[in-house]
Amino acid sequence: MINVFVMIGLCSVATMLPRMAPYFMPFLAKLPKNIRKSMVLLPVAALGALIFPLALTDFGVEWYAGLVGVVSAFFVSYFKGSMILSILVSLASTAIMLVI
Amino acid sequence: MANNKRKDALEGIKDGFPIFLGYFTTALAFGLLTRTSGLRFVEGILISLTNYSGSGQFLMMNLFNAGSFLLEIVISVFFLNTRYIFMASSLYTHLENPKSIAGRLMCGFGTTDEIFAVAALKGKKLTYSYMAGIVFTSYAGWTSGTAMGYIAGTFLPDVIQKAAVITVYAMFASLLGSESRKNAKALLVLLVSAGLNSMLILLFGVGTGVSFLISMLAATIFGCFIYTDEEAGV
Repeated sequence: MINVFVMIGLCSVATMLPRMAPYFMPFLAKLPKNIRKSMVLLPVAALGALIFPLALTDFGVEWYAGLVGVVSAFFVSYFKGSMILSILVSLASTAIMLVI
Repeated sequence: MANNKRKDALEGIKDGFPIFLGYFTTALAFGLLTRTSGLRFVEGILISLTNYSGSGQFLMMNLFNAGSFLLEIVISVFFLNTRYIFMASSLYTHLENPKSIAGRLMCGFGTTDEIFAVAALKGKKLTYSYMAGIVFTSYAGWTSGTAMGYIAGTFLPDVIQKAAVITVYAMFASLLGSESRKNAKALLVLLVSAGLNSMLILLFGVGTGVSFLISMLAATIFGCFIYTDEEAGV
């Protein structure tokens, strides 16, 4: 079992280090282009693995509820809906799938 | 001089207000998630107070709920956050007086994606008063939203609580939606990342943390090949 406070503390360091370091080490701005490109694309690349397969397996036999939730959030935001609208639509559609 | 400081701070607060609203509403979902993940109120708030990052915190809870190891969680969060090196380096060059240590620490603490986007496009030198205004206005939205979301969770019916697991994935799917609108190549990167992760976990029984790291890095390399430098903005 993970100690939650240790996890929070270490994750805070893992977040603040890359944010604060460049203000004290300006040479970080001169990293090679390929490295900078990876840094920009990494969050996009993370999304797929963050969603699948856990969004489906978290719901067990009702996996389709997760799928409907993910797909609806995607489309709301694709058609320029705000993030909170897409989360709310997703929450509602998942709840409906769980009820029926 | 004091007048200028006041004016800059007010301008920062004004620029921070739209971010406040966006953060507050997203943090509602995060607060609810910490509750449904079985964390205590203090723990949920402490995450937002000390991490102050949207996707990083959602990632942390995601892997935590999946039963990943501590080190896997921390390394994943770190990799996800390396993009801030790029943003912070850029903001640093916009500072009016880059000497103050406290000022630099404050700017570093507040270098989130949204604050970076607004401040970097300001088109003038950034003072610490301005940065304090925008950073703390946004921070107030993020932390108070987390608290409200956690509290609101107690009043929600069971089926919503059960469905609330989806909020974390909805947040990621929503980011994916806007990335795909900007560039459809994001969907190809999604295929690699989602496909590899599902295969490793479901077919080969790899742990969620390690599998996530492998999939994220493989998809990043794939992305570097298919995105041009201009599309990636480097």
